[in-house]
Amino acid sequence: MNLERIPNEEKLSLCRKYYLGGFAFLPFLWLVNVVWFFKEAFVKPAYTEQPQIKTYVKRSALGLLLWVAVLTTWISIFQHFRAQWGEVADYISFTIPLGTP
Amino acid sequence: MNTSDSEEDACNERTALVQSESPSLPSYTRQNDPQHSTTEPKRRRHANSDSEAGCVTHGGVGTATEREPGHGPDGEDEELTLKYGAKHVIMLFVPVTLCMVVVVATIKSVSFYTEKNGQQLIYTPFTEDTNSVGQRLLNSVLNTIIMISVIVVMTIFLVLLYKYRCYKFIHGWLILSSLMLLFWFSYMYLGEVFKTYNVAMDYPTVAMIIWNFGAVGMICIHWKGPLQLQQAYLIVISALMALVFIKYLPEWSAWVILGAISVYDLIAVLCPKGPLRMLVETAQERNEPIFPALIYSSAMVWMVGMANPSQASDTADRSAGRYWHRYCLRISPLIRRRVKLGLGDFIFYSVLVGKAAATGEDWNTTLACFVAILIGLCLTLLLLAIFKKALPALPISITFGLVFYFSTDNLVRPFMDNLAAHQYYI
Repeated sequence: MNLERIPNEEKLSLCRKYYLGGFAFLPFLWLVNVVWFFKEAFVKPAYTEQPQIKTYVKRSALGLLLWVAVLTTWISIFQHFRAQWGEVADYISFTIPLGTP
Repeated sequence: MNTSDSEEDACNERTALVQSESPSLPSYTRQNDPQHSTTEPKRRRHANSDSEAGCVTHGGVGTATEREPGHGPDGEDEELTLKYGAKHVIMLFVPVTLCMVVVVATIKSVSFYTEKNGQQLIYTPFTEDTNSVGQRLLNSVLNTIIMISVIVVMTIFLVLLYKYRCYKFIHGWLILSSLMLLFWFSYMYLGEVFKTYNVAMDYPTVAMIIWNFGAVGMICIHWKGPLQLQQAYLIVISALMALVFIKYLPEWSAWVILGAISVYDLIAVLCPKGPLRMLVETAQERNEPIFPALIYSSAMVWMVGMANPSQASDTADRSAGRYWHRYCLRISPLIRRRVKLGLGDFIFYSVLVGKAAATGEDWNTTLACFVAILIGLCLTLLLLAIFKKALPALPISITFGLVFYFSTDNLVRPFMDNLAAHQYYI
């Protein structure tokens, strides 16, 4: 889909839907939203719907950063303490590496 | 496959196509969200009655040139067509190459996809673990016959569904197939990659990854999303499908099936009678655009002010776990130019190259097959530009690929090995 060729209201609606969709544990959707609408929100000359698109993009970026922080923290904790947690860690492990404790 | 009955009239293709005009374009606009369909042959692409060749089923390649009336002299049209056609050929090389690269990289690094643990698909019930060569050959031929009949049956089923307007069923089927592909197969793939690289991973993180990957994939493919992301997802799912085929099809059966699919493609697209034709004609009668279930589109076309096209679906049939392709290649000159290639073609090209990588001894074979497929694709597009009707694209590439594979494996490789052993460089 080419953003160039759809009217502004539809762009706004699309941006909003992507923003709302991201609340369903979908930071990737927020990432797509930010990347896709970045030009529309910040680079293009102003048009009526642009401020709203801007807010959605900003909020999506915020949400994305939050999720990235959470996931990074969790992954670091897991990788570091996996061996020490013993049974619990094994229970939540998807793959367990061979050779290392 | 002919575009329409008008071609059988006295007018030549050019005049028959002249009347094509924008109404055919709605089919382009839907390209934004090609329905996901894998399996079973039948991807139909059908433009409105006045133009384009529908290409469908099993890699039919259709080319249609749309011209606006009153355009320049024919020579100019010809040149434009070829020029834009050439550009789009290049644009198709990239995704096909990417898909093959992903498949070959996975095959070479993750051993899961080359391990044969005796599991086979129900579509290929005959085992190849037999003692004699003759028995093995017989089994592979029988497997192929079963597989091809499954495809034909699914094709006819799909045509009937379309004919009796069971669009909801088709849509549901499509969505189910893409769900399975995006979630289940990628979960398996991720698991195998982690095991190969000996990385610890926990369920919550994996759940997040797969959920995000799958959900965004469904949104991009079935609804609206950025073009590049959509293309990337289509490439990824083709690669996943090809990997599943490579794993679960027995050795000889895979090669025979590749050959048989090409032949079937040839027959299905060029013969006047067939479910494919019926499908196209039905769509023509109803004046509906049919969307290819899975189509990779190199560019997007939008018609301003176009309302959302009807639910006349893309029909894609899917049978649980089986993906087949239909592809349609179109070269449309002038205002809207875009080339589309069905995902089934991606899948089968990748299966061929992947199998060459899995079973060939070294990289020569793999590279030879890769080059063969690209040459085949070029030739097919050339023929398309010349004949301007639907042509099956699969046969040429697959034939070249098979020829190159067997000759490289059996002739070139021993030759190169001998040369290297004797330190004789040419």
